[in-house]
Amino acid sequence: MAEGVDFESLVARHYEPLYQFAFSLTRDESDACDLTQQTFCIWAAKGHQLRDVSKVKTWLFTTLHREFLGSRRRQTRFPHIELDQAAAELPVVSPAAVNRLDTAQVLEALARLDEIFRAPVALFYLQDYSYNEISEILAVPLGTVKSRLARGLERLHQLLADNAPGAQPQSLQT
Amino acid sequence: MNRDEAKSILLLYRPGTTDADDPQIAEALALAKRDPELARWLEEHSSRQEVLRAKFRQIAVPAGLKEQIISEQAVFLKRYGRRERIVVVAAVAVTVVSLIALTPFWLAHRRPMADNSLAGFENSMVRVALAGPYYMDLTTNDPVKIRDFLAQRQAPADYVLPAGLQKAAVTGCAIEGWQNTKATMICFRTGKPLPPGEQGDLWLFVVDRASLKDAPPPGPPKIAAVNRLITAVWTQGDKVYLLGTEGDAQAIGLFL
Repeated sequence: MAEGVDFESLVARHYEPLYQFAFSLTRDESDACDLTQQTFCIWAAKGHQLRDVSKVKTWLFTTLHREFLGSRRRQTRFPHIELDQAAAELPVVSPAAVNRLDTAQVLEALARLDEIFRAPVALFYLQDYSYNEISEILAVPLGTVKSRLARGLERLHQLLADNAPGAQPQSLQT
Repeated sequence: MNRDEAKSILLLYRPGTTDADDPQIAEALALAKRDPELARWLEEHSSRQEVLRAKFRQIAVPAGLKEQIISEQAVFLKRYGRRERIVVVAAVAVTVVSLIALTPFWLAHRRPMADNSLAGFENSMVRVALAGPYYMDLTTNDPVKIRDFLAQRQAPADYVLPAGLQKAAVTGCAIEGWQNTKATMICFRTGKPLPPGEQGDLWLFVVDRASLKDAPPPGPPKIAAVNRLITAVWTQGDKVYLLGTEGDAQAIGLFL
């Protein structure tokens, strides 16, 4: 039972990745702090309902994402995009060129993605979550996660290629 | 799979993770071992992925955030505790006065408090199913393990599943209390996508027939709407079964 989870240990273990996820969604330190804190407040109130302690981390990320969506008051239903609809064109930017960008520039590119692509891409890079775990956190089917990742990564790489100094956009196709 | 298809698939590949367990990615990786040009592309793509992962992890966490979260939680609990004490004292006072006033009336009209009716059982168990996100005492897809788990804990384990339910994917079980006895709860999936945190959307409850004062006679399941669920109730042998899911009579009929 999650009742036995010590609050301070829980915070110590998870606040950093949660903040990083929150910041990647909001790009605002204050908003990200609020979201992180709110997530732990909800845990303090409802965490005892969680029976499977192994799900704590997923629960926290799910809650943070829900709070983020709630704060944005988005009511539009997200479109389902099939994987095979994703464009195969990928602008290629070299690892060295990406390395010359700083984290702020990468997050700026992330922020320019449509909101439905932002969270899966952030979870993909930040936490190394599996596709199934991302699907669980975001409450969307696995196929949709993969399609959103494919589209999101394609767009992110395109934006990075545009911003990277000296990068020559190329096509994925050869 | 050709080279371009492999590249599209490997776009989602992160080296050093469990991504390689994905059959499509595994096939694309195998192709890269045989195709030098694809191998070169994969090497560069993997480097780029590593750099991007590192960039994301460089997001600096504000100093003192952890302490702030912990201290504000402590302040909240302290405030809550003080308010709670006042509320408890007031509630106790009101309760004592009420008990003194109502005792003669209660003595004259008392009746058994325990609601061991079928309706009480249905309402109680449906509330359990709807108190999501739902978590189980045992998470497994193995029906044998579930029976063993329940039997070891003296919960109803010798249940008989209807033909429709035998085809549904089981995801785990829990043991619920019912009128000083144990009720078995087995979770299944209907096949629809599940909300996050949920591990089942079709629930079977089994309880000893003797624990209900008005258990239905053996016969075909009776369908009814209880709370947000559609339910089916039937008696078989010395057990009463309650099956519930969201939807309509047709939805639950598939599992009977």
